[in-house]
Amino acid sequence: MTNLESDGKALTIKKTFSRETAISIDIQADKSILWALLTDASDYQRWNSTVISIDGTITQGGKIQLKSTLDPKRVFKLSVKEMEVGNKLVWGDSMGKRIYTLKSVGNGQTNFSMHEKIGGPIFPLFAKMIPSFDQSFEQFASDLKKEAEAICNAI
Amino acid sequence: MTIEQLTNEFELARPQLKSYILRITASIEDAEDIVQDSFIKAAQKIYTFQHKSSVKTWIFTIASNLAKDNLRAKKRWTENVNDICKSEALANPNYFPELVQIQQTSLHGQFEIKEHIAFCLTCISKSLPLEQQICMLLKEVYEFKVLEITQILDTSEAMVKYYLHNSRAKMISIFDGRCALINKEGVCHQCSELNGIFNPKQNFEVEKNKIEMAKLADKGDKEHLLNLRLQILRDIDPFSSNGSELQLHHLEFNRKIMENYSGKKEE
Repeated sequence: MTNLESDGKALTIKKTFSRETAISIDIQADKSILWALLTDASDYQRWNSTVISIDGTITQGGKIQLKSTLDPKRVFKLSVKEMEVGNKLVWGDSMGKRIYTLKSVGNGQTNFSMHEKIGGPIFPLFAKMIPSFDQSFEQFASDLKKEAEAICNAI
Repeated sequence: MTIEQLTNEFELARPQLKSYILRITASIEDAEDIVQDSFIKAAQKIYTFQHKSSVKTWIFTIASNLAKDNLRAKKRWTENVNDICKSEALANPNYFPELVQIQQTSLHGQFEIKEHIAFCLTCISKSLPLEQQICMLLKEVYEFKVLEITQILDTSEAMVKYYLHNSRAKMISIFDGRCALINKEGVCHQCSELNGIFNPKQNFEVEKNKIEMAKLADKGDKEHLLNLRLQILRDIDPFSSNGSELQLHHLEFNRKIMENYSGKKEE
């Protein structure tokens, strides 16, 4: 997705058969801390206010069950599709996938970006029933920044 | 470094090292074996020591690696370990008579609330991922610096900070939910129950208020309460304290229960 600034503001592009949301933010923390936070399923609930729970393990090919504040009554059954240790994590289901990317940008900072694309031939039929991801994305990025920077500044 | 220098340094570090390994493994036998094996390994590799760290840090590195090998195949405990073990103790007709006998015959058989708090943290910290438990103990109990812990665990400063932050957050959350000493709604009253059995003439409220952590509980600074809890561990040598034999017997009991409990879960 082009024109995405690292300002922690979500950007959504709607098309007939798909919808994409992305966010990017610079975080004053080592990439390894962000990676550890993003891959410890059991700990999400503690720092991420958009996640109600994640069961399972975030490993290549692993299965997870995610409950999100976006739709608290629903359990998203997802699989981890790609893991490039320290750099990239992709999970999703048949409807779409979410991509997390980490890049060192110097001065002890890491750029975190998150991108989700959902869609398919029948997407127009239920598009209106899927809530906007914008607020949830912004909260996720903000929580991650707050937690990672707290860890760096703790000692 | 000569073998004499190593021996001297090792003997200085031995009490802390043994207590550290006990708190990681919860096994007296493993603690003794790992400490002994650490000395043998250090002596064999003495020529590789390059003064990039202190001798104490190097010894703790060797022992930590041996402890990690020892624990690799073992499951982590659960945060409700004390509930599980309490049920088993109540169902075991020999358990309390054994403890009473220790109390009546041992020079290290006194029941002290502070020692039980240390015991309790030892058990519950085994529910943390091993790296987090090790980091928390090294930093908060054995007072190693972050840089030294990076050497002991062969990891980055960032990861040590992550492990420390996470372990503290989890311990705060668990004790805030469980410990009736710091939260009136806490579900665990084991200290007062055991104190009632072993020290029936004591007034628990009076004894409780001698403990800084319990006294300051109402002020609600959870980070500080955890620091005070960890301070209790710092001040207690689990092998030579007033109630060491009693608490070690209790710890061995819990370890055996938890090893079987993990086994049962797997079946």
